[in-house]
Amino acid sequence: MEQAIIALAAALAISVTAMATAIAQKAIGSAGVGAIAEKPEIVGAIIILVALPETLVILGFAVAAIILLAG
Amino acid sequence: MILDMVRVQVVGLKPHAEKVIASLHRFGGMQIDDIHDIPDVTVRAFYVPEKIRARHEEISLLIASINGLTDLFSTLQKTEEEKQTQLLPEERVEYIHKQVTDLVAQVQYLNNRNKTLQDELVSLSRYIHLLEAISDAVPQASVKSGNAALRALVPASQMHHMQLLAQQLKMLTRGKFELITVKISESVNAMVGIFPLELTDQVETFIKNEKITQLILPEEYTYLQTDEALRHIRNKVEHNHQELDENDLRLKRLARTWLNKLKTWGMVCQDQLDEMDAIAKLGETEYTFIAMGWVPAEKLEGFRQLLGGQFRNEVMVHVLKVPTELQGSIPVAMRNPGALQPFEDFVRLRAVPRYSDIDPTSLVAVFMPLFFGMMVGDVGYGLLMLLISILVLRGREIKGLIGSFLKVMRVGALWSILFGIIFGEYFGTLGEVIGIPPLWLSRSEAGNIGTFIIMALAVGAGHILLGLAIGIWMAVLHRSRSEIMERMGMFMGLLGVIFVTLALTRYVWHGFLPLGWATLAVGLVVLAVSFGKTGIFLGPLEFVGMIGNVLSYLRITALGLASVFLAKVANDMGGMLGSAVAGLIIALLIHALNLFMGMLSPTIQSMRLQYVEFFRKFFVGGQAAFKPFRRRVPLPSDLPKQQPL
Repeated sequence: MEQAIIALAAALAISVTAMATAIAQKAIGSAGVGAIAEKPEIVGAIIILVALPETLVILGFAVAAIILLAG
Repeated sequence: MILDMVRVQVVGLKPHAEKVIASLHRFGGMQIDDIHDIPDVTVRAFYVPEKIRARHEEISLLIASINGLTDLFSTLQKTEEEKQTQLLPEERVEYIHKQVTDLVAQVQYLNNRNKTLQDELVSLSRYIHLLEAISDAVPQASVKSGNAALRALVPASQMHHMQLLAQQLKMLTRGKFELITVKISESVNAMVGIFPLELTDQVETFIKNEKITQLILPEEYTYLQTDEALRHIRNKVEHNHQELDENDLRLKRLARTWLNKLKTWGMVCQDQLDEMDAIAKLGETEYTFIAMGWVPAEKLEGFRQLLGGQFRNEVMVHVLKVPTELQGSIPVAMRNPGALQPFEDFVRLRAVPRYSDIDPTSLVAVFMPLFFGMMVGDVGYGLLMLLISILVLRGREIKGLIGSFLKVMRVGALWSILFGIIFGEYFGTLGEVIGIPPLWLSRSEAGNIGTFIIMALAVGAGHILLGLAIGIWMAVLHRSRSEIMERMGMFMGLLGVIFVTLALTRYVWHGFLPLGWATLAVGLVVLAVSFGKTGIFLGPLEFVGMIGNVLSYLRITALGLASVFLAKVANDMGGMLGSAVAGLIIALLIHALNLFMGMLSPTIQSMRLQYVEFFRKFFVGGQAAFKPFRRRVPLPSDLPKQQPL
């Protein structure tokens, strides 16, 4: 039972942050593609902006790893 | 490497202006600045003669024609490989103008002809539909020479009136008029009246007076019987289709013959326009012209010799001191060995460095493929990526980001193979199955995850410390005290965190713990002081942000684990299926998906680690790139002479 709760907690840590990242990337990505269509030279800046929210899921991964390793 | 630039002023007698511009164009190593945009020059702008302006307009129109033809031919000739054709001595603007005018005339004729044929086809197809319906209904006996036919389309609601009119026509022709009606659609009927040819005038006058709308066939079919008209129209449709096919073939032949030539001619004309635009960038005094701009220091001597040799004392080159307010306007020219060129493209994608910064290309060339390799970390995938990159790039030059990506991937694939051997991964867990052990640790074992997390954090801390060290050095060069303190504070703070962590986890002697706390405290204080009055809030905030940067390197482990476990799933699922063939197909499909994701995601993540985490510690960028005034197409006279066989 305890193991199941630990696994669920780790899964939540990853999945919730992954969803949050996806929502943020959806908004940034669609706006970014529009901006690149207008000014192709800003593609580098847009890649950064799109990749920024991924820190959320990476932190989720770190938390999940800590939960699993500590458990 | 960022090249040293020299600010130059070219001064010469006015009559030489056009020739000097042509020489500078051929030299191809000077960026000419617009005299209007230079704050420390007060001479008036060069007067561009009317003759040059008219010529400018003429060439602009010619370029528009070339672009139109190029666009059209590109749609017809998609597979042709793009290559610049070599210019012949006679291929100057006048020659190009003549050739393009001829081509435009040919293309216009073919296009107009095609449009006419297509319009005819549209209208003839309508007639065919109607005539086919009528033809089936007309009795063969009535179709004989000596009879004429009247065809009309009548709304179904008015058919009763038509019957009355038909009776009148029968009376008028003394019973020699026969009416046949055919239903074309729910609302429209076709009416065919057949009568002797000699009564045509009487019938037509009656029809005209009664305002009946006749179905008028094109002139050449008007007096033909329905069947005959139908046959002729079908022949005409077939003929039109044939002619359309022939015209399309002719257009394709023209595209094949001229597309590359047109692209080259477009560039030749654009070169001419550039020369005229350059004249408009000059300044002038009463007797002299002045060109201002930039030349790489290494080309200065050649530049002087070129102008001195051609114009002797009548054109002079002066090297000017760059005022402080223009330091930010110095154009930046980067030069790196060919192997580093794709990495330079990735640096430029972020921003052109500042003139006073270091060129981070070589650092990106080390760390970007290294991180890529750490994430993929599989011998099988690495070999496949290497193969894909070699095969796609073999014998062709792919320009742009895709080409750079493939070249970077080639280096990344080598690192992937190396890390694959270290992690013992051969298409995931296949290495274990065939008994190849990892050199270090296997990523597919859950117990090793902690070690890989520590590895990623260590790599991240090292990378960021390197970025901060470069940042401190750059700040010292720029003599910016606040930047020195900010970066030094972060450097010391991070070093302190590393010492404290290592001491607490007993990786180093516990006695280092106070040293670690002290370094961290000093770092935080220095960081806070660098921000001035708001430092008490901003300092710790920045520091937490930097710790977030280090944690961001966990993506190396995260992506690596995702890749190895997907590969493990592919192998396990393949093994679980009863059929060997089905198992192989499923395994191959999942491996293909993993390979595809392994090519894209690690590239983007690795790039992000450079741009966001690493570059922000020392790289500002945003200066304008050096744009030398150079020909797009070398003139035949500038090409090296071919040796006789």
